[in-house]
Amino acid sequence: MNLSRHDRRSRLDALAAEYALGTLPARSRARLDRSAREDPVVAGALREWERRLAALADGAPPIAPAPRVWTSLARRLGLDAASAAPPWWQRLAFWRPFALASFVAAFAFAVTLFAPRTERPVESIVVVLAGPDARPALVASAPRGDRFLAVKALAPLAVPPDRALELWLLPGQGAPRSLGLVPREGVRQVRLDAPPELAFRGVDALAVSLEPAGGSPTGQPTGPVLYTGRLERL
Amino acid sequence: MDADRSRHDAHLAELIARVALSDQQAFAELYRVTSPRLYSVALRIVRERGVAEELLQDAYVSVWHHAARYAADRGQPSTWLTAIVRNRCLDHVRRRELDTVSMTRDDGQDAPELALPDGAPGPAEMLLAGADAHAIRDCVERLEGGSRQAIALAFFQGLSHGELARHLAQPLGTVKSWIRRGLERLKGCLERANVTR
Repeated sequence: MNLSRHDRRSRLDALAAEYALGTLPARSRARLDRSAREDPVVAGALREWERRLAALADGAPPIAPAPRVWTSLARRLGLDAASAAPPWWQRLAFWRPFALASFVAAFAFAVTLFAPRTERPVESIVVVLAGPDARPALVASAPRGDRFLAVKALAPLAVPPDRALELWLLPGQGAPRSLGLVPREGVRQVRLDAPPELAFRGVDALAVSLEPAGGSPTGQPTGPVLYTGRLERL
Repeated sequence: MDADRSRHDAHLAELIARVALSDQQAFAELYRVTSPRLYSVALRIVRERGVAEELLQDAYVSVWHHAARYAADRGQPSTWLTAIVRNRCLDHVRRRELDTVSMTRDDGQDAPELALPDGAPGPAEMLLAGADAHAIRDCVERLEGGSRQAIALAFFQGLSHGELARHLAQPLGTVKSWIRRGLERLKGCLERANVTR
């Protein structure tokens, strides 16, 4: 059947709609796939319906796949070890663009914060979190001897109203651990269940990801990572 | 929201262009920013973690090999990526029905229950949420209840006509006409509203 004939257009449209929705049975799907490869009108009708419906997919909350999916994908494609070293939060290459900038920024902060004092600094942990443009956006610091991490937005952060920013601990080994939500402006104190020296043991960095309102539904980062910073132990 | 989305799409288009040049870091970044959304799409349709993981991998293998074939005229990169994953998953579940003796589901039951986090939204809520993000909520809300529910279940969970009829306890013919009429209305409404761009 030549589906691109003018008088068959509405039939084609109905088939393409159910193809994109997914209700077309296997044999009809395969037939339509074949004719789309040969007939640009058929291909166009499929793309048009895919475009119409794809927008709806955003309604499903994201679910992060297990790290092994990336590992075996990289192996299958023979990607080299540097970019294939999974998962992204353990990948050094990922940090490189901002590692130096945030180290410099953290150092500068530490100096301005603590230089006037002659005694030992009261902070034990300072992290400056910056976006890919390397501009510091947040500072997190944990005073020695206390059990909280103060997270301060250096300027009001632009977050869509139905989203939230979530702060993550990135251990050298294992998956990120949530530290809760990050303020869009001002300071928030995150309670730690141990003194900072212990709470941050083995932790290399912090990251902030964009999540649905209320935080990640999966307990792991699901949205894009907006800010990261290496842990500086003072 | 729309400005956010077009920025996101511009970023994806750039990554895909670099992947076409075999840029491995761009590919890793593309995986990082898109896999949670695409895995969610796959898992809801095939409902088995192992299968969803495998199909997700296949989809990215195809992206790696065919990124050069992606051209701006294929529309938004997120649409292109979503279609690659959805089509693989739909091919899988539709073909699975053909096997009279299924190796993975030999109990003849509907798709296995999928453990999603507590409070995860249902298909109808996701349909509205998805519509909301794209200012086509009016069109989705205007669908009759039956059409809306059937379309939501088909779209998010990949149910066939027969599975929908069982799930909604309706005759097959009713379900088919809900779907057909619903899709026609959606198209008409979107074209009138001219929000599909």
